[in-house]
Amino acid sequence: MYSDLLNALPEVVGLTNFAAVVIGVIAGIVVGAMPGLSATMAISVLVPFTFGLEPLVALGLMAGIYNGAMYGGAIPAVLLRIPGTPAAVATTFDGYPMAQKGEGGFALQVAVVSSAIGGIASAFALMLLAPPLSKVTLLFGPSEVFWVAVFGLASIIFLLGGNPVKGLISACFGVFVSVVGSDPIYGSDRFTFGQLELLDGINIVILLVGLYALPPVIDLLETPLKTDGVNSSKLGTEPIWRTLPRMFRFWKTWIRSSIIGIWIGILPGAGGSMAAFMSYNEARRASKTPDTWGNGEPEGVAASETANNADTASALIPALTLGIPGTAVAAVMLGGLLVHGLQPGPMLFRDNPDVVFGFMWQFLFGAILLILLGGSLATNSFARLLNLPRPLLGSVIIVLMLIGVYSIHGRMFDVYLMLGFGAIGWVMDKLKFPLPPVVLGLILGGFAEENLRLALRIGRGDWLVLFSNTTSLILVALTVAVIVGPLIKRRFVNKRAQETAG
Amino acid sequence: MSDHHTPRLLRPETLTALGIIVAAAAFLAPTTTLRPISALLPAVMLGGLIVLSVLLLIADQRKASAGEDAVSMTRSPKRVIGAFGLILGYALATDLLGFYPSTAASIPLVAWLFGYRNPLGLAVATVIVVGTIWLIFDFGMSQDFPTGLLWKE
Repeated sequence: MYSDLLNALPEVVGLTNFAAVVIGVIAGIVVGAMPGLSATMAISVLVPFTFGLEPLVALGLMAGIYNGAMYGGAIPAVLLRIPGTPAAVATTFDGYPMAQKGEGGFALQVAVVSSAIGGIASAFALMLLAPPLSKVTLLFGPSEVFWVAVFGLASIIFLLGGNPVKGLISACFGVFVSVVGSDPIYGSDRFTFGQLELLDGINIVILLVGLYALPPVIDLLETPLKTDGVNSSKLGTEPIWRTLPRMFRFWKTWIRSSIIGIWIGILPGAGGSMAAFMSYNEARRASKTPDTWGNGEPEGVAASETANNADTASALIPALTLGIPGTAVAAVMLGGLLVHGLQPGPMLFRDNPDVVFGFMWQFLFGAILLILLGGSLATNSFARLLNLPRPLLGSVIIVLMLIGVYSIHGRMFDVYLMLGFGAIGWVMDKLKFPLPPVVLGLILGGFAEENLRLALRIGRGDWLVLFSNTTSLILVALTVAVIVGPLIKRRFVNKRAQETAG
Repeated sequence: MSDHHTPRLLRPETLTALGIIVAAAAFLAPTTTLRPISALLPAVMLGGLIVLSVLLLIADQRKASAGEDAVSMTRSPKRVIGAFGLILGYALATDLLGFYPSTAASIPLVAWLFGYRNPLGLAVATVIVVGTIWLIFDFGMSQDFPTGLLWKE
């Protein structure tokens, strides 16, 4: 089962593939360090540029960016109390007080080492858990695959929390976008309105760039944020090899937070910020000196940074094996796989083992590289990124978005379509409609329809074929549980709250 | 900006729900010309969008009745409209005038309008960005960019 993993290693350590991870990590740290930019946005902008690249090079860039950005978010969190990414909020609790005491450099070193440890643990979890899960899912037929798609959609909508109606609207919108173009069986046009550009359907990259890149750019231009005044003299940085012995006392926190991060990553809809908060709370509860937390306790930085990086690769376990991403970044990464003709799900492991296992190694290398590239010298340089003017940054990102989308098919139609999706994405963002269900709907919608129709053909039009075996029934039961569970829990919590108030 | 006095029908969530209902109903019409199996998924999704939007509408109107404030979309509407307008203008200019002239004008224009007003910084940034794009995409990857519809004719 794991032989494919070892077979994929030689290609990953090739110069081009390795360079892609290095560039990805640096780019990720840069992106994460800039408040308002996220890994999701960076990967969305990057995906169209990877069309001409080998799949492993493209995936190496993505793995590097994901790892780098999760750490990069700690830089403004520590220095300015502005989390660079949502997952870095918990890092501000102790990181910023440390910077106020002149220990900003040490806080960032704790962050980078903890991020690397979390990332390494997460990559190992992906390597160990994904292959056996894929073996099981390889046994699935069309009806089971259809139910997996339905389960995926249901889980991301109902486990995301918030408002299920908005989540469902997002998912319906995503699935609707997936049906635009030629019908997969009969070839008849659906919602193309005579536009030849729509015959092949809507490319996922256009949707990704519109939804995930345009709204943050509008935010960058909308809110003038002053971030000047950061210089290396405030950091008090020592070489990282001298400070490492001071960190060894965090070993219990590193293990605990890695487990929490991996677990949260596997759960659909949770994400890095929940992992970081949960890990911070657990570490504080286990601490012998909980009173010092919040006033510059380095262990607090270690707890949150380990967990938010441990969430990265593990979020890809359900994404790669079942096609169900655990986080928004994982959803965008699935889009990245699709543009290279790699359909996430069990077949990926059978048809492209070199790519999928190579991707896992790249996650591991990306996490290890964090210590080297995000070490003390680099941290001083990355801190200066905070002085970049936001309007200039916004205008450059707009240009990159246009180039990326135009280069897919070499036509401006796609750019206008992307702007349309961007406007929709901005409204959704402001009204708190979750965006991952849209992407998942686009990925799983076509997949579900194709398998539904295949199952119906096998069953000669009998819909009962969808419920004809135990695996399908289990998947139906899981889907119902995912939908009904949170509703029952909410009712139970409300009842208890009323009783308490009464 | 307080949205306390937003009229009930102009609340952002209500407007969004109404917009979705109208758009979904308009898209539902073409499904009648499709084979039933081809129309199944889109019709279910569009029907779902209509039903869910009605629920969203009702929920928002209930909030309005209870005196809850409408969701605030932006603190500076002028900046948001300006940003969208400039991005659309950049895309149209690229289509009509070509990629390089539009980009060379848009980068400093957008940055200047939104608050970065250092002429030297703008000039240097524009030269670096446009030069790097030319070097990587045009020279290195032979990527074609729009040359401008105006010049073609």
